[in-house]
Amino acid sequence: MKMATLLKDLFPPYASLSGWSRRRTDRCILGFCLLGSVIVGITVLALANIAITELADPVHLFEVATSSEVVGSILLTFGAGLNAVLLLILFGTPLAYVLARSQPSRKKEMVESIIDIPLILPHTVAGLLVYLLFMRRGWLGAPLSDVGLAFEDAYPGTVVAMLFVASPFYINTMREGFEKVPVHLENVARTLGATRLQTFWKVTLPLSFRHMYNGSILAWGRAIGEFAAVIMIAYYPFIVSTLIYYSFTTDGIRTSRSIAFTVIIVSFAVFLVLRRLTRYVGRYDDRV
Amino acid sequence: MIEFDRVSLSLGQFALKDVSLTINEGDYYFIVGPSGAGKTVMLEAIAGLHQPGQGRVLLRGEDITATPPEKRRIGLVYQDYSLFPHMTVSDNIAFGLRLQGAKADAVRREVDALLRQFGIEHLAERHPLTLSGGEQQRVALARSIAVKPDILLLDEPLSALDPVTREKFMQDLARLHRERHLTVVQVSHERSEARRLGTRMAVIIDGRLVAEDRVATVLNAPKRPDVARFVGIENVLEGCVVENAGGLAVVDVAGLRFEAVTGAAPGERVSLCIRGQDVGIALSENPASSSRNALSGTVAGLVGNGPLVDVRVDCGVAINALLTERSVEELGIRPGSGVVVLIKASAIHVIAGDAGGPD
Repeated sequence: MKMATLLKDLFPPYASLSGWSRRRTDRCILGFCLLGSVIVGITVLALANIAITELADPVHLFEVATSSEVVGSILLTFGAGLNAVLLLILFGTPLAYVLARSQPSRKKEMVESIIDIPLILPHTVAGLLVYLLFMRRGWLGAPLSDVGLAFEDAYPGTVVAMLFVASPFYINTMREGFEKVPVHLENVARTLGATRLQTFWKVTLPLSFRHMYNGSILAWGRAIGEFAAVIMIAYYPFIVSTLIYYSFTTDGIRTSRSIAFTVIIVSFAVFLVLRRLTRYVGRYDDRV
Repeated sequence: MIEFDRVSLSLGQFALKDVSLTINEGDYYFIVGPSGAGKTVMLEAIAGLHQPGQGRVLLRGEDITATPPEKRRIGLVYQDYSLFPHMTVSDNIAFGLRLQGAKADAVRREVDALLRQFGIEHLAERHPLTLSGGEQQRVALARSIAVKPDILLLDEPLSALDPVTREKFMQDLARLHRERHLTVVQVSHERSEARRLGTRMAVIIDGRLVAEDRVATVLNAPKRPDVARFVGIENVLEGCVVENAGGLAVVDVAGLRFEAVTGAAPGERVSLCIRGQDVGIALSENPASSSRNALSGTVAGLVGNGPLVDVRVDCGVAINALLTERSVEELGIRPGSGVVVLIKASAIHVIAGDAGGPD
């Protein structure tokens, strides 16, 4: 991407493609760009490094990328992540709304701190917490395994570990979204005959949809990238991060690198599309 | 029609304290007060959006204290319009009708009729964020009356409008009140709006109801000095009655003697309320005048006030007079000019004692 195009995208009010070249360069913005480029640069270098190596042997890459083990693992990872997000939408959305609409208090601070626990814990600790709760003899794992829902080395274990580590991303984003919906809109809806639940469905939730979408993407990204928390409870079935680790420790660097490159390409493509779609989500001003 | 019976409620740091008032069917009722006095909270309490901690809210004699807002048939229009930004103008207006279960045809007919009535047919498919303030205000009003409420609550509906739109909207409100026989409760801090549209009014200061009566009574003959100041009486002077001869009292205000018509007895503390337009100014030391009060002073300042000029005169106490620009020019009044302030005894409204309760 050309520098001018990048700057135009980043700072539309200040720089147009033609205007940027005409006007004197803003040194402050240029300095910020140079500093920021360190982050982007490291990522690009890492990607270039792996891409050059992998593209030098496309036959091997294709073989690995299309193997049923890798395709199945990617689908499983994305599916489990989606499952975790759907559960977060179901359980996290009401919680986020209550937090957004409640007055500041110690109880609220306590609940918010509990929600943020997965953010501050080492992932292995998060995994251990999930394992202890959902293992066959765990407080929740025991009664649920009695009704046929096992978590150890099973798909539900993967989902619950992903849900645990991704929950703060969704709930916090959603809470911010609800906070941005003016209470006056809800009040007016109530006086027009809507119950509290109808108001939530018809006014608050549609106006928070953009945050719901962004929160879901963040949570999904966090979920599919999880490794440590997942292997504590569900080493099998292999999600991609487990598969890469397994392949690295058994087959060596070559195969694990090809799997990693495949995952990078697929994830990048999916997130690019999802990010692109955010432009069309939750816009209500038909002038723009 | 709607009655607050000793209602108290707390909302964070703010509290409504022991408010009792009655709004009659067909009233155009104004709730006025300074910013932060609790006007909007009171409006929201009428709508059922806040539960009183104490007291009752009655609608046609029936206790509706615990009735949720959706069952009260009370419409609400906020100062910020609060249109649903994700819906078109038509959908905003249809919102309440659809919730009532009206059929699609009926909803469309009603919405079209309201769009026509408010002259906003061309905005039907637009989203609210693309509308001007005046247009949004009309949509908000159309939406609130679409569900045919018994009472319409308006929270400072005119404050964000330009003068032309404001005037037109005032006419719309007056027409709506007249033609639909609506009971309207409007929050405002503009006394002129109350004078123009209102039938009755209440004054709220610091969460307390300090005055409630017909608009003219509250504005022209307030019963508390703080209400007098709030309703814009330029001169409110505290003093003590020195003597009273047949209803013409002499009141001592910081050493100055004022004559005023009142029944207050000697020794009683009173507040003298004098409107700026009731104060005359003369240049001569002995102007021939029927005014009982002639006080010498020095002009301390002049401030433009529309077509009038607010002349502040230091007579020992500060007296504000409202004169026309022409009078100021012809008299050659400027800061430092020596003048005589003239006030008729009958132009002074006297508030006796330290009135503490509502009017």
